[in-house]
Order: sequence, then C-alpha cells, then structure tokens
Amino acid sequence: MPTVEFSGKSFSVDEDGFIDDYKNWSEEWVQYVKAQEGIDELNDEHKKVIEVLREYYEKNGIAPMVRVLSKVTGFKLKHIYELFPSGPGKGACKMAGLPKPTGCV
Amino acid sequence: MAFISSGYNPEKPMENRITDIGPRKYDEFYPPVIAKNKGQWLYHEILQPGVLVHVAKSGDEVYTVRCGGARLMTTSLINEICDLADKHCGGYVRWTTRNNIEFMVDNKSKVQPLIDDLSGRKFDGGSFKFPIGGTGAGVSNIVHTQGWIHCHTPATDASGPVKAVMDEVFADFQSHRMPAPVRVSLACCLNMCGAVHCSDIAILGYHRKPPMLDHEYLDKMCEIPLAIASCPTAAIKPAKVEINGQKLNSVAVNNDRCMYCGNCYTMCPSMPLADKEGDGIVIMAGGKVSNRISAPKFSKVVVAFIPNEAPRWPTASKVIKNMIDVYASDARKYERLGDWAERIGWERFFEKCEIDFTHHLIDDFRDPAYYTWRQTTQFKF
Repeated sequence: MPTVEFSGKSFSVDEDGFIDDYKNWSEEWVQYVKAQEGIDELNDEHKKVIEVLREYYEKNGIAPMVRVLSKVTGFKLKHIYELFPSGPGKGACKMAGLPKPTGCV
Repeated sequence: MAFISSGYNPEKPMENRITDIGPRKYDEFYPPVIAKNKGQWLYHEILQPGVLVHVAKSGDEVYTVRCGGARLMTTSLINEICDLADKHCGGYVRWTTRNNIEFMVDNKSKVQPLIDDLSGRKFDGGSFKFPIGGTGAGVSNIVHTQGWIHCHTPATDASGPVKAVMDEVFADFQSHRMPAPVRVSLACCLNMCGAVHCSDIAILGYHRKPPMLDHEYLDKMCEIPLAIASCPTAAIKPAKVEINGQKLNSVAVNNDRCMYCGNCYTMCPSMPLADKEGDGIVIMAGGKVSNRISAPKFSKVVVAFIPNEAPRWPTASKVIKNMIDVYASDARKYERLGDWAERIGWERFFEKCEIDFTHHLIDDFRDPAYYTWRQTTQFKF
C-alpha cells in the first residue's frame, strides 16, 4: 500500500485514496482529504457529517444509508453534495476514515 | 505523453462545471427518412438474413443491413463504422439492443453496394469485421458481460467464450433455419448482468469453492454486517480471531452452507473466491422475455458444470451447438426453446440433447424449490 505524508503524519492509503484502517484516522487525515476532494474550507456542517458517520460506524460497523445520514444530520442529499462534491460515499466516508464503499458502485 | 489539460481546473473543481444534461436527444441522429416517417410505418419484410425493409404510408422505404459486432471494440473500428456510414448512409448508423450494428439506406439500389462493402471487410486474422445477419429465426448476437477484461468478481471470461460460441454457430447467424429466434447470453458470474436468466440458452460463470478469509485485513476493509447480510444462505457469522497474537474482528464461513455465490466478496474485498480449477460455467436453457403465445420464462439450469477451457471453451461450445441443432430439428415452427422443452417434457429434453441429469439440477433453495418438483404421475419413461 502506498503511503502519503501530510502535516508530519503518514497514512497508508489504497489506490482510491481511502485510509487503510479506521483506527488510523486523525485530524490531519481530514485536512489531507480536504485538499484531494476540492473543499476550500471546512465548516461546522462538514464536521457534523463526519462526526455522524464515525459515530454510526463505531456503533453499527457499517456506514449509514444515505437516508439515515440525511435524517440524522438534517441535511438533504443536495446539501451533502454541496458540502462534499464527490458525494457521501467518495467524499464524506473517505474523509471520515470509513472503509471504501463496496458492491456494484 | 505529457499531461494535456482539457481546461478543467483542479484548483476550482466546481467552476464551469456542467451537470445533469442527460444524453443527447435521440431524434438528433435520425436519418432523414426515419425522421420523416416516424410513427407512420405500414409493414416490414426480411429480404434475406440480415437485411430488412420497412415501408411507410407515404411509400418511403428504408432498408436496414444488420451486422454482427464484438461489442468490445476499439475506436479505430468505430471510426471504420463511421466511414462506412458516411460512404453509404449519409453518416447515420445505429446499434441494436443485442449490440449489432445497423446501417440504413433509403433506396434499394444502395443496398447491394453496402452489402458488398460490409462482407468484404476482414481483420488481419481472417475474421469478418461486419458479418451480415442476426435477423429472423436464427441466432443473433450474444448479450455478454465484462469477464476477465474488466470485472473483479467473474468466474469465467466473457469475450472469449462468446467468440468461441459465435464461431461454432456462425452459420445460424447468417441463416433462418431455426423454428424461432434463439437468444444466447453470457454472464461471467451469477450477478447475471445482462439477460442470462431469460434467454433460450445462457452461459453463466460459476464458482465451486467457498471464499478464502483474509482475517488480517477483513475488519479494516469491510463493513462486517454487510458481508453477513449479503449471504443468501446465512453461511456467514461474525467471529473473533487471533492473528499474530492480536485479537481481531472477522467472520466465519460455514462451508456446509456456502454455495459459492460470491456475494460476500462483492461486499467485502477480503473474501476472494476465484479459483482456477474450481471455476467454470453453468449452461441454462429455456428462457424468453416476449409474451408471444406463452408468457415470459426464466431459463433453467441444464448443465451443472463445465470447466473453463480458455481460449476456446470447446466442451461448452459443443454442448450449445448440439442443443441448438437438436432444437432446430425437433421443435415446431414458432416454438421457442423453452416452449419446445415444456411441450415434450424436460425428461425428453435431456434425452434428446444427450445431457446428463445430475442432482445439482434439482432446486433446493427455500420454499419455492418445492414447486419445481413433480407432483404428478404424468411423465414419460
């Protein structure tokens, strides 16, 4: 697995830029993905989505369905796309350090 | 080649971004004769295998020449198709739902030069570039999938077997000797992308071994509850394992319950199951989608396993060729393969096609399996 250096930290990532292990997530990782995903400034709404994703994953072992994410955060899918241009899977889950979405994607 | 920008600015990815414009509208690409007579067609005829004529109320005629395509094609071949369309059809061409290519001309005098041009073109290896056919009661193109070209869950290849089978039945692509059209499809795993579950003859990639478990990475790569829920027979359960002195979350597979569908690998990259000797193909038969005479049918498994024999899959193509020949000589006019098998009885189908009936073919999946068994004394010895 390739490693990336960012702000003095190093992360192992796969070819799509997802982190190798949920446990290796840190604030620096968020800053690193921010640069990759075309997000200028992180606001509280970004942080809320990430927090909800991490909480849900820790509790349930899976990423929430899009409708669940919408309902818990109160953000419509359109707004989530405004926050994360690549969408809830490629953008938000990557930034939250969740495993890469699988299935016929 | 050095990087050449298209004008996209990675610093500002959302700037000048065009989205949600959808496909180009179909009528932008209508040949003039089609645009003029849309919704006004009176009747059509098949003049010869691969050549149709449609006649409109206005008296206009459009002649269609259908030729086979490999589906997987290079831009140079598409350029050649465009050159042909420019030369004969005013720059218009279309693709069918079975990935054949159709060239249309508005005058009978233009048909023969087009046919001569198409049938004269060959690849360096000798294969026809644009074999004409695929109409009427014959064997048209094979609807197929990615295989080893591009997918990560296949149990067999797609393009390879399709080429081998089409070579075997090529005469039937260019003739109308069948009682009814025979649709052949291929899917390289039992996700069944495409039409295998509803085709006269279907080729399906199949595994015979349970997944291998990459315990070390499983919890990191996978959402374990998804892997568990992906199993149709509930063979997977969560488990704790010890690797190199470390306690890790993982899953355990009950091999007695596993039927090697590979769904768990789709959801979880740490459960690969492809295997060179284990993998192969299943042949199914008797499906259809049309409502003509009988209702649409699912295809049924008739050969439980044939090994992968790259590059020509000789056993599989022989079984399919034989099935098509027996059907052609035994079925009545207009009878699809499934109609024929149901009329003569599946026990006769196996006898006539000289296919061995094995216990694998008897349904054992949940309650509906019961309805596939025979609850009558009506059968033939």
